[in-house]
Amino acid sequence: MSEGFEEIEHTADLAIRVYGRDMRELFANAACGMFALMAEPSKETTCEREVSLEATDYEGLLVDWLNELIYLHEVEGETYSQFAIETLLPTKLKAHVIGGPTRHKTKAIKAATFHDLAIEETPSGLVATIVFDV
Amino acid sequence: MVDKKDMKRVEEYVYEIPKDFRPDMRVPARLYADEELLEMALRDRSVEQLINTATLPGVVKYTLAMPDIHQGYGPPIGGVIPLRTSDGVISPGAVGYDINCGVRLLRSNIMAEEVKPIMDEIVNALFQGVPSGVGRSGDIRLSHRDMDDVLEKGSAWAVSQGYGTKDDLEHTEEQGALAGAEARVVSPRAKKRGADQLGTLGSGNHFVEVGEVEEVYDREIADAFGLFEGQLVVWIHTGSRGLGHQVCTDYVRDLQQAVTKYGIKLPDRELVCAPFDSPEGRDYFAAMACAANYAWANRQVLAHRVRQVLDNVLAGVVKDRELTLVYDVAHNIAKVEEYPIDGKPTKLIIHRKGATRAFGPGMKDVPADYREVGQPVLIPGDMGTASYVLVGTTEAMEKTFGTSCHGAGRVMSRSAARKKIRGQELQRELAESGIIVRGGSMSGLAEEAPDAYKDVDRVVNVVHSTGVARKVARVVPLGVIKG
Repeated sequence: MSEGFEEIEHTADLAIRVYGRDMRELFANAACGMFALMAEPSKETTCEREVSLEATDYEGLLVDWLNELIYLHEVEGETYSQFAIETLLPTKLKAHVIGGPTRHKTKAIKAATFHDLAIEETPSGLVATIVFDV
Repeated sequence: MVDKKDMKRVEEYVYEIPKDFRPDMRVPARLYADEELLEMALRDRSVEQLINTATLPGVVKYTLAMPDIHQGYGPPIGGVIPLRTSDGVISPGAVGYDINCGVRLLRSNIMAEEVKPIMDEIVNALFQGVPSGVGRSGDIRLSHRDMDDVLEKGSAWAVSQGYGTKDDLEHTEEQGALAGAEARVVSPRAKKRGADQLGTLGSGNHFVEVGEVEEVYDREIADAFGLFEGQLVVWIHTGSRGLGHQVCTDYVRDLQQAVTKYGIKLPDRELVCAPFDSPEGRDYFAAMACAANYAWANRQVLAHRVRQVLDNVLAGVVKDRELTLVYDVAHNIAKVEEYPIDGKPTKLIIHRKGATRAFGPGMKDVPADYREVGQPVLIPGDMGTASYVLVGTTEAMEKTFGTSCHGAGRVMSRSAARKKIRGQELQRELAESGIIVRGGSMSGLAEEAPDAYKDVDRVVNVVHSTGVARKVARVVPLGVIKG
């Protein structure tokens, strides 16, 4: 939990619960959590990408954000560890991600899904559950 | 939450949740299960997900779940949704991210006993020769033009490149190419994801398995399928890889707006959809068909690799090393099929998610050499127990929109399996019981342990007892490679 995410049970796929003091931290922690499932962490900073997305709401943006990272991970062969969310509005995201070449993949994630996804406010901040199809 | 008391028993092994259980249901929902499988289904949200499918616009008669049901997203795995093409919807989530995940079975003229002594060698050769595992790419690099050909021609493209024969096409569902595929509606990023993955197994629950036909239940149908007791056979289970995953991701995203545009209310966002007869719906169908064709081409190339590997490793051991395709089925797909609804022949878009087509005798889509007996229905089990060959029936056409189960279905989460089971120990235990397993990762193996799955014998007995698909042969594993 100290990392801002934890893996939770799901019958057939993988799921994480993600926490954040605010929406930007939630999005960054979701990305960290997903990469923790997919690959050995990267301490490198040789790869940088700009991500720019639009969606209908925050949940849509969150799914699109994670799916964009899955795409880059798979096609560019990169693993990211730093996620600077520069702009985050209900329908728009701009981010800068930094990492390095993927050294060792641990799990192939097909996609982030909308299943059970609701970003909720709690007394200590925001929480969301994200289920990944594997 | 659904309770057993909310369900009525329609016949043995068939339970129905009536339409009035929830105000948004348009039709009842039916579940095929014995008592134990029903109890398992009620433990997670799979029955609630089944009920959700009964709310979709254009849905007819009833939605279904097969006895290998478990929680998915959108529909449950094992779900069957029949919708009118005229005013019903098509839903990418109701097909799944691994479009045309499916399985093919190859038969040989070899007695398994002859090659059991070298099973270690066979499995190692397959592990070396068949690209598998997380992030593993293949040795085929598709140009843009090749990619579009693969998407529109499917298995036929692979055969034209020397991977297999015309006979393989005749023994593949849709002859390995679903009509209506248009490469232009598949995104550049989906094509990029699939560009170096053709001819690869992937990981997770995908596998190549060498098995032995342990028991034949119906000699006449087994003869028609070319199966006999003691025979060596090979299963290949995989799908459309990153290309299919991206197609689903793209359309789940794009159709979020379609739902608002067409005023569709959904109980679950993963059931996002568009009218089948709309530009958005037509584009998704065309893209889905492309991904399905990619998967068939993938299994066609993999079959070729398996044939090469076994030809090589068995040279000098057995004379006749030919592997013939029995059949290839999809279990995540949406197909346009016609069924009588209220006495009238009606075109439906049948969504099968973790469910297999099971056409009965006389159907023109069944290969000519099987038409008299019905379509082979291939049910891969877990790597420790058994798999089955069944045959589709007339009852399936009448009761389940020509559909049967697809496998064993999971009962244990991946994280629980990893905590409970050690991959290396599992590998050793399986070897002690005569099953050689090689996997890309020990934690991946643990996730796929037999204990993580339902009892496939129970699942198959339900479909057999209800007449939806009948048992033809039981196949036990001898050697398995997993990504």
